[in-house]
Amino acid sequence: MSARTHPVPEQFDDPVQQREAATLGMWAFLATEVLFFGVLFAGYTLCRVMFPEAFAEGSRHTDMLLGTIETAVLLTSSCAVALSVREVQLGGRRAATAMLALTAALGIAFLVMHGFEYYAEYREGLIPAIRYTQQGVYARGMEIFYCLYYFITLFHSLHVTVGVLLLGVMAWRTWHRAFDQDYHTPLELTALYWHLVDIVWIFVYPLIYLVGRSG
Amino acid sequence: MNARPARPQRTHRSGPRPPSLAGNLWTLAALLLLLVLSAGSALLRLGPFNEVANLGIAAVKALLVLTVFMRLKTDNALLRIVASTGFAWLAVLIALSLADVLTRQPLLAPW
Amino acid sequence: MSTVERVPPPRSYLEEGYGLRSWLTTHDHKRIAILYALGITFFFFLGGLAAALVRLELVTPAGDLMSAETYNKAFTFHGVVMVWFFLIPSIPATLGNFLLPLMIGARDVAFPRLNLFSWYLYVGGGVFTLLCLLLGGVDTGWTFYTPFSTLFSTSHVLLAVVGVFIVGFSSIFTGLNFIVTIHTLRAPGMTWFRLPLFVWSMYAVALVMVLATPVLAMTLSLIALERLFGVGIFDPALGGDPVLFQHFFWFYSHPAVYIMILPAMGVVSELITAGARRRIFGYRFMVYAIIGIAVVGFLVWGHHMFVAGQSMYASIVFSILSFIIAVPSAIKVFNWTATLYRGDIGFDAPMLYALGFVGLFMLGGLTGLFLAATALDVNLTDTYFVVAHFHYIMVGGAVMAYLGGIHFWWPKITGRMYSEAWARFAAILMFFGFNLTFFPQYILGYEGMPRRYHEYLPQFQVWNVLSSAGATILGAAYLLPLFYLAWSLRHGARAGPNPWDARGLEWQTASPPPPHNFEQTPTVTEGPYAYR
Repeated sequence: MSARTHPVPEQFDDPVQQREAATLGMWAFLATEVLFFGVLFAGYTLCRVMFPEAFAEGSRHTDMLLGTIETAVLLTSSCAVALSVREVQLGGRRAATAMLALTAALGIAFLVMHGFEYYAEYREGLIPAIRYTQQGVYARGMEIFYCLYYFITLFHSLHVTVGVLLLGVMAWRTWHRAFDQDYHTPLELTALYWHLVDIVWIFVYPLIYLVGRSG
Repeated sequence: MNARPARPQRTHRSGPRPPSLAGNLWTLAALLLLLVLSAGSALLRLGPFNEVANLGIAAVKALLVLTVFMRLKTDNALLRIVASTGFAWLAVLIALSLADVLTRQPLLAPW
Repeated sequence: MSTVERVPPPRSYLEEGYGLRSWLTTHDHKRIAILYALGITFFFFLGGLAAALVRLELVTPAGDLMSAETYNKAFTFHGVVMVWFFLIPSIPATLGNFLLPLMIGARDVAFPRLNLFSWYLYVGGGVFTLLCLLLGGVDTGWTFYTPFSTLFSTSHVLLAVVGVFIVGFSSIFTGLNFIVTIHTLRAPGMTWFRLPLFVWSMYAVALVMVLATPVLAMTLSLIALERLFGVGIFDPALGGDPVLFQHFFWFYSHPAVYIMILPAMGVVSELITAGARRRIFGYRFMVYAIIGIAVVGFLVWGHHMFVAGQSMYASIVFSILSFIIAVPSAIKVFNWTATLYRGDIGFDAPMLYALGFVGLFMLGGLTGLFLAATALDVNLTDTYFVVAHFHYIMVGGAVMAYLGGIHFWWPKITGRMYSEAWARFAAILMFFGFNLTFFPQYILGYEGMPRRYHEYLPQFQVWNVLSSAGATILGAAYLLPLFYLAWSLRHGARAGPNPWDARGLEWQTASPPPPHNFEQTPTVTEGPYAYR
């Protein structure tokens, strides 16, 4: 299906109204996503107020270098997907597809690095309920920290996975000329979603990896 | 179809104008710089300002992504309102539950 | 797109297709509304059955009909079903779905497929909840308080939690759809301050659904995690804090109360203006009150936790905020009353429901002020006073308005008129049955009878017997519409497009409306309620 013949569903008057509705819907969905993750951050905040030292100790057990690289990877991927939307708007199909593929690849790289992190934590005995071997005064508080860590990062990784799949579909459709200057709303929405995944990680990074590093 | 357009069909290109390439790349550069700054400041002994720096930088980064990459700067104002609503509600959740936890008699941990 | 016209459009949305398949794959908001109505009616009577068991047990002081465990399961099932499978979707998903596009002059909601998907999610959540019931039920109360729900309960907490989790997505998507529809699909000339108050209430409710439900979903996931793996942030034995759970839970569940009552307020605004042939008094204030309730409703959740170990200072803040939310609610009651002044009031069934709503809502709201006062609340927490208070809001308020709305728009939805005499009889019976059921519970609570026990001290028996007797009448009154409304489907007189001579775009199209609502997209030139 070519972009030029893309039909406007009958509830809309014209393509402009359709796009307005689609972007507004996506942003409203992103607001719910902020709250989905937000509860976990709220739980983190309240628990950290209760166990400040244990949270610092837990954070020191994470891999700061890998975390920083992962952040850089996601930031770069965010830029790449923004550029792909720009390319489509300018009519550059090849460049847009390449940018989308790059974004998806960076997403996969992120997942792989995170997998390594999880594996290292497994060997260190930092995974509550599966393999948790920490001892000492902070062990209990750290367990709460790691519970939240896993819940947040796994939920985030789930989003990354969904994002990578969506990006793959978008790359495919872009390559097959589904989008052009006039019609590229699905691509725009996917990009918005991917940016939100990035924003969540922007907050995960200091809260998980950077606590108590100076001590 | 019954009752098709009551308004004239608008056919201008959808969405805000494409941003400049340089703008996007500079934003990425700024984001990476802020990341380095964030990692660096975390290693310095700043006391409570460590946390201020951490979260402050994260907020700036998030704003950059929201305004430039997600084009809130150029897209319509309603989207800016919707986007801020999510964060505002989260702030309410955190603020009011903190109001409880911070003023409570500390609970003794069982260890 | 607009040039090709091969077949003449079918006459009404009901005649678009008759097979099961045409219903289960429909994208028409009107048909989806009817699908919801079927599901909601089913769950209403199922939840009602559980309530009947509870009232039956409470006829005698001794716990002789059910064991304590079975009793716990009965009231939990009643709560879970009534809150998530009846009250929350009731008005928004049925009347809202049906009327919202009609009222703003749109052809459909913005995302029709998402709308259908929401219904399937509702059904999916319902299946899990029924499964939970069939396998033995859940006994935590609808609030799933930790640590009982995570550590001690041996019932099927997970299944219930999964059911609620899924149905939560249904309301998120419904809310999202409504927000976008109202923003983008208003007919030419339909400005924000020409929207009927029902649409405004749908907007406010959608806002609450979209912003509160994610918090519930994640909180329930944390419960599931804690139950499955024995680790988490709510378990006091691990240093976690059960009060955190209550914060997160009520951050959703208190606004959820406004998900139930805001649409009811919207419906009543329509019914009273049509029934009294008057413009609404203070339209803008009504709008601000709706938005005010939706927003301030998010700031008061801590009043559920005055005795839960919440800090005293936080309690004071939450108490003051809770008093503040009484102001917009009072504005609404005042304006409804003022609308009636010098009106040409008719006492048709919808108007009877609306008037009943105003009285019962006021009583429920005023007793809410008792409970918002920290000192008094310490005495009244977890007594029947609380039970009576929220039933006055939810049953006396939301259910009365829902049924009033169903009667008012029945001719629009089905094209038929019901028996007016029976409808009035049912409305009046319901009002008396309701008060007989729940007013004694105020007295019981004030005298100190705690809720959620299957036996009680003998001195409470008189009021309990009265309450159970009232419940019988109430049950009969709820069953009546089932019969005369069903009867009207075949034998009722044909209703014209506008049997009530009401204003509003939905009355300008045929009854039942054609598949795309209007033959010609209407142009709006004046505000709502152009009566007098």
